[in-house]
Amino acid sequence: MWNTISTSLPQILEAGFKYTIPLALISFFIGLALALVTALIRLSATKGINIVIKLFFRFYVWLFRSTPLLVQLFIVYFGLPYLKIKGLTPEGIKLDPFMAGVLTFSLNTGAYASETIRAAIESVPSGQWEAAASIGMTRTQTLKRIILPQALRVSVPPLANSFISLVKDTSLAASITIVEMFEVSQQIAAENYEPLLMYSLVAVVYAIFCTILSWLQGKLEKKLNASHVKRGSESR
Amino acid sequence: MKLEQVNKTFGSHQVLKNISLDFPRGKVTVLVGPSGSGKSTILRSLNILEKPETGTYDFDDLQIDFSKEISKNDLFYIRQKTGMVFQSYNLFPHFTVLENIIEGPIQVLKKKRPFAIKQAKELLIKVGLSDKANAYPEQLSGGQAQRVAIARSLAMNPEYILLDEPTSALDPELELEVLKVLLQIAKEQQSMVIVTHNLAFAKRVADKIIFVEEGNIIYDGSVENFFDPDTRNARISQFISSMTFEN
Ligand SMILES: Nc1ncnc2c1ncn2[C@@H]1O[C@H](COP(=O)(O)OP(=O)(O)OP(=O)(O)O)[C@@H](O)[C@H]1O
Ligand SMILES: [Mg+2]
Repeated sequence: MWNTISTSLPQILEAGFKYTIPLALISFFIGLALALVTALIRLSATKGINIVIKLFFRFYVWLFRSTPLLVQLFIVYFGLPYLKIKGLTPEGIKLDPFMAGVLTFSLNTGAYASETIRAAIESVPSGQWEAAASIGMTRTQTLKRIILPQALRVSVPPLANSFISLVKDTSLAASITIVEMFEVSQQIAAENYEPLLMYSLVAVVYAIFCTILSWLQGKLEKKLNASHVKRGSESR
Repeated sequence: MKLEQVNKTFGSHQVLKNISLDFPRGKVTVLVGPSGSGKSTILRSLNILEKPETGTYDFDDLQIDFSKEISKNDLFYIRQKTGMVFQSYNLFPHFTVLENIIEGPIQVLKKKRPFAIKQAKELLIKVGLSDKANAYPEQLSGGQAQRVAIARSLAMNPEYILLDEPTSALDPELELEVLKVLLQIAKEQQSMVIVTHNLAFAKRVADKIIFVEEGNIIYDGSVENFFDPDTRNARISQFISSMTFEN
């Protein structure tokens, strides 16, 4: 058994560092940027052209939150090549597996995280907006300097949870031929007929990754709180 | 600074009923009245945190017509000329005391950082908190937090400071330290509009008193007449006796 583990573990870890982690990291950060934009648009004033834009982003969030991630992956990777629009995409949209994965995971993360960020922004008391307005700050200044820093602190725990979920969800990318950790473990199991061992092994690797992330999350939360309150001589 | 024929409704509730008021420069105007009478709404209209439906607002040579869209320029002009101090302080919790005070001067007035810091430190001395520059708001007592809020609004160098029940969240001894600071500022001819339930303080600090009830101005005049049992009207007497031990 130890022999099997010691030959397959390096392959699984290699796939982890080569695909799982980059896929999760890249998708998460693109998703976060998208989430921030989406949240801000959804919180903006409902007037003029904005109405259409807001409706579009609402549709986007609804779409990605109410369909399974696996189905989304299939549509983007297997479906889009058949999206043949004359003059625009006559050949269909063919993405390489990794790109299709990044695209889908980013859009999915963006939809969920936008709700987290929106809630966090709304949780900042209205008195903060008023105090900023009363010293003459513009809406943009207020968001950047006053509201978002406070909202960020509130949204770290739920966003970190989203990231941890994303790391595990990247295993779905196996189904669109990305050779991430789970795909590799399947391939090895098919060769050595040790499915229980192989899938348990990959489960342990996921668990280790996620535990490290939880630990980092704790550190980050502590740090954010510490920059808020420096204990000691200053207190009353 | 003056309001003319201002009306404000929330839903179907008319909160300000065609009121006209002026707020003399260099003087302290105190707004009193029962809860829900519209005092905060008046103050918030002066800072345009609230926009009445009709009426005009004059500030020096600028006239704002509330029934029209208010331009960004006019809005920022008014916001810079009037500083607001809230009952719940509304300090920025992620900034230190010093950062709270320099935020407006740096971001809005585009002052240089060293200049803003120097000015902020002077203001902290003025409000008696020079040792708290690097503290965070949640490390302050209510009285200290409110004095920081006062310093923050003074840092913008406004012509008027608007204070909405600045001490009603405070214990008496903490209230006193804030009121002392306000008296000191009043002595320096800072124009102020103060909403307060503390009539003893009103009597002491006010140059002019406005009594509001159900969105109407019942009294607008001198402090002496307001508190004079011989000249004041029955409604005011009733209000004063409900707020004090006087009868
Ligand atoms: N945003 C709002 N939406 C609806 N009604 C409001 C709003 N703000 C104030 N009101 C109503 O307007 C009336 C006047 O409110 P305002 O806050 O100006 O009174 P106030 O004199 O400051 O009272 P208090 O002494 O309790 O602070 C109240 O009846 C209040 O319920
Ligand atoms: Mg009020």
